[in-house]
Amino acid sequence: MTKYVVKRLLLMIPTLIGVAVLIFLLLRVVPGDVVEARYVGGSGQFSSKEVMAAERARLGLDRPLWTQFGTWMLGLLRGDLGISMWTGAPITEEIRLRFALSLQLAVMATVVATLLAIPLGIVAALKQDSWTDYAVRVFSIAGLAMPSFWLGILLILGLLIVFRWLPPMVYTPFWVDPWQNLAQLIWPALAVGYRYSAVATRMTRSAMLEVLREDYIRTAKAKGLWLKLILVRHALKNAMLPVLTVIGLEFAFLLGGLVVTEQVFNLNGLGLLFVEAIAHRDYTLTQALVLLVAFVFILVNFLTDVAYAWLDPRIRYR
Amino acid sequence: MRRVTMVLALLLVAALTAPAVAQDKPRYGGELVFPVPSEPPSYDGHREETFGLIHPIAPHYNTLLRVDPTDPTGTKPVGDLAESWTVSKDGLVYTFKLRRGVKFHDGSEMTSKDVKASYDKIIFPPQGVGSSRKGQYQSVEVVEAPDPQTVRFRLKWPEASFLLAVSSPWNFIYKADILAKDMHWYEKNIMGTGPFTFVEHVKGSHWVGKKNPNYWDKGKPYLDGYRALFIRNHAAQVAAIRGERAHIQFRSFTPADRDNLKQALGDKITVQESPWDCILMVAINHEKKPFDDKRVRRALTLALDRWGASQSLSKIAFVKEVAGVQVPGTPYATPPQELEKLAGYWKDVNKSRAEARKLLKEAGVPDGFSFVFKNRGTPMPYEPLAVWLIDQWRQIGLNVRQEVIEPAAYYTPLRNGDFDLAMDFQCGYIVEPDLDMYKFLSTDRNPANYGRYKDPVLDDLYLKQGRATDPEERKKYIRQFERRLLDEEVHYLMTLQWHRIIPHSAKVKGWQVTPSHYLNNQLDTVWLAQ
Amino acid sequence: MAVTDRALDTLGEPAERAERRWLTASRDFVRRRPLGALGALVIVIMSVVAALAGVIAPYDPLATDYGAMLGAPGAPHWLGTDAFGRDVLSRMIYGSRTALLVGLGASFFGATLGALLGVASAYFGGRVDLVMERFMDILLSFPLIILALAVVAVLGTGIVNVTLAIAIPMVPRCARVVRSTALAIREMPYVDAARAAGFGHGRIIMRHMLPNVMAPYLIMLTAFLGQAILLEASLSFLGLGVQEPTAAWGLMLRGAAVEFAETAPWMAFFPGLAISLAVFAFNLFGDSLRDALDPRLRTQ
Repeated sequence: MTKYVVKRLLLMIPTLIGVAVLIFLLLRVVPGDVVEARYVGGSGQFSSKEVMAAERARLGLDRPLWTQFGTWMLGLLRGDLGISMWTGAPITEEIRLRFALSLQLAVMATVVATLLAIPLGIVAALKQDSWTDYAVRVFSIAGLAMPSFWLGILLILGLLIVFRWLPPMVYTPFWVDPWQNLAQLIWPALAVGYRYSAVATRMTRSAMLEVLREDYIRTAKAKGLWLKLILVRHALKNAMLPVLTVIGLEFAFLLGGLVVTEQVFNLNGLGLLFVEAIAHRDYTLTQALVLLVAFVFILVNFLTDVAYAWLDPRIRYR
Repeated sequence: MRRVTMVLALLLVAALTAPAVAQDKPRYGGELVFPVPSEPPSYDGHREETFGLIHPIAPHYNTLLRVDPTDPTGTKPVGDLAESWTVSKDGLVYTFKLRRGVKFHDGSEMTSKDVKASYDKIIFPPQGVGSSRKGQYQSVEVVEAPDPQTVRFRLKWPEASFLLAVSSPWNFIYKADILAKDMHWYEKNIMGTGPFTFVEHVKGSHWVGKKNPNYWDKGKPYLDGYRALFIRNHAAQVAAIRGERAHIQFRSFTPADRDNLKQALGDKITVQESPWDCILMVAINHEKKPFDDKRVRRALTLALDRWGASQSLSKIAFVKEVAGVQVPGTPYATPPQELEKLAGYWKDVNKSRAEARKLLKEAGVPDGFSFVFKNRGTPMPYEPLAVWLIDQWRQIGLNVRQEVIEPAAYYTPLRNGDFDLAMDFQCGYIVEPDLDMYKFLSTDRNPANYGRYKDPVLDDLYLKQGRATDPEERKKYIRQFERRLLDEEVHYLMTLQWHRIIPHSAKVKGWQVTPSHYLNNQLDTVWLAQ
Repeated sequence: MAVTDRALDTLGEPAERAERRWLTASRDFVRRRPLGALGALVIVIMSVVAALAGVIAPYDPLATDYGAMLGAPGAPHWLGTDAFGRDVLSRMIYGSRTALLVGLGASFFGATLGALLGVASAYFGGRVDLVMERFMDILLSFPLIILALAVVAVLGTGIVNVTLAIAIPMVPRCARVVRSTALAIREMPYVDAARAAGFGHGRIIMRHMLPNVMAPYLIMLTAFLGQAILLEASLSFLGLGVQEPTAAWGLMLRGAAVEFAETAPWMAFFPGLAISLAVFAFNLFGDSLRDALDPRLRTQ
């Protein structure tokens, strides 16, 4: 078992390095840089080439690529994420507040998704091919099908027009003022959670179906209701594993992937920071963000792999 | 005895009727809340170009002169830190008398050495220090501070726009001692003389300023403080005003926003509108065939029904006025009868388009000729204007495809001449021909002119108008410049002047809209009614 | 009998018998899984509309009419007009073309490339597999939209580039799923037999492995179709997708549609509805297809 864990841990490293190299190169291939984004346009007609060249030198953009990459990597090893090219502030400072919001939103959305998916999935599996089953499937797929920004716009307009109420515009951390905090985040959590429950519902349903086909369940069914209840709970335990995998993976993506949702609900989160960082060609910030999200994803992957291997010994020996 | 009673009675009546009058008198107190669509990258006004810096930071500073905040044309310089000034007969020496008793927020006294240090940083920045508008002060030879209350600028040549140049909202007066120790200090810190002191900046969230109790302009500011919320999403900004969470947005809203707000809040909303010193224009690459042919360029402008667009597009975008090189309503704007004579500004659109087709045929451009129009990836008003342009050119048989490029990467192809036609834009911070017309000078004089042409006649006219000290003479040169730019040579195509729409809470008083969203942001004249 | 067995059996059968088997399979599908059939029907309708757009659409989708801006639904503009006076119905019809082109193009390209890579990775095993898996993991670690953003930033906007930007994040997802199925097939005796008989790698992959990963491939393909359409809408909403004045559903949802959401709701409502319906249909169909093709979920 330990050998498997160590092997998976070691495999994380090349993946992370691969991500780092990929994003580093990708950003340099994209046309335009932070100096251009800052100085050109508007009254930029008075900006001279020397000013821009001086800025580039100050940010280290004129040094050879491998030097820039090396500096970044060395900084990471020391635990230093670097400085944002656009604002000049340390990246940890830029990320801190937004990470808290995105994390909280991801957790809340996952909770909503789980609370919706598991009961619905079980019901749909138990009543397969009935109208209940169809209703559940239609309901969950509707969540997937609607564009999230459409849903968001409808939600906010609805709140405004019907209730004449707007969610708070500024983020207050949970420990500062829980009511303000929840009042702002419950709406996007609902919108996002509904969306993600679709995949989890389907997963729960098919996992339950699979387990329900097992012989021991069918025998128990033949024997009587009471036993069936106990065994359904058994079935549930076995069905949960793939479901939890899916939920875990989706959670990792909720951290940086909610770009459009954050725009619509005006949330100061990582997704929006991403878009801005790319728009400003803020290399250091984009790199740090991508690495952060990738790290979380790879970590979650690793944990689920280990959980699977622990529960199903056959996997360990592959 | 009876007289005393009468006086008392009169006083009583006066006291009872006073509240009705008091409404026009500024009320002290309250926090002004306003959304800002973009966040300042650094805090140094000399270096940055975004209004995202001006809106939250301008209240912390004063400038030497400023644009009169009560003047709707935004073209009148008045003293800010300068109490008075004189100009030498030859127009080469400007002497400013500074106010006494102005203190920085840390208690130290502001003197002429601070003004000199700040302007030296702007005009003659040392190596490694960025000054975005350095090129605007080429006429300045030296800045002197002969005594603590006097600042003197010596110019190399007379410049009609100089007073407005030192009214620039970007030219914050910094503390000389701080600049002497660290030229980059102001990029991350605030220390000014302005009506509000700095409280906090939470990245991505908000900026808070508090009333400066020792402000030199006694009795001001009226507000207790202000809070700028960084809200990127446009719909969210409108929702903030609508939900009465914010009072005003200082850049502009769209016609639809204004109508929605008016409908939802009725009398609680006041709307102020003004033509805006921003315009989108089509840059034509003079080095690409067939656009090197004057007839083709003329055809392109003749195809555009600007007067019609002014009616229709103003409903869906914040554009409106049909203009030449200056914002309508300002001292050097084009008189209507002159405007209608320029190519593309004729009232008869059919005649205009027939002429366009004729010119295209003469120049040998086939019907259905196709080219690419590069546009910047900013929705308002770039998108609706592009749709309109493409549609108008279709009417004269041109088949245009749009290629949208993200803002950060937009100017590279333009600078490299890798385009046929492209959307260019200009937003001035003060309405001044020197600033607004600089863009159109020959490419070797102004590298930010992406049209790639050399027109010495145009350059000469620019110089003449810049040095003309008599307003009528200046107007003459400006009109000639305009005619050559837009009618004779058609180097650039103007679309429509932007139109600034500020629907704000009726509680906000003492703020006057001007053609520039960089002006009138010190907030010292603003107060909140009950 | 599962649809799978029948489908696989048709490989190598005389044409007309194969045809009859497909027909019976389809009929079974409709009867047994009405939701999936409904999805399939919607897809067919959409495809027909897209193909016949030129004939069906009452107006030119690019034709502006400044006299009829923001017009409410009713004759002659049955779904109203947008901010430029363009007919919403015609733009919706032509928009289906863009949606299907981008959706089909991106998912087909992404799924196919992913499947090929997944099969190759499983087949060759060893170091190739290890490297390939790492590479896929790397791509998977990027949130979908960030990868799409980066691709658009490099290549620029426009329909071809957007299709590519949407296809690329799909490759690793498909590769992963197909790889696990392919791994199982590789262990099967007939593959070994083929190797022993001296057949080349290419032939074995083509004849034996690819046909047997059809099921997961088709499932991923249909799952991607819905996602691709949504991604296109999101990218257009952010301004990075297809550009004006092209008619595309995602594009119709941005700008004026949001601004005039209260006074002219039809501008945002219909394209949003169209996207939802399309994604809905593809998901229902894909869902039912998976149920049908997965032998473990047969109802006895």
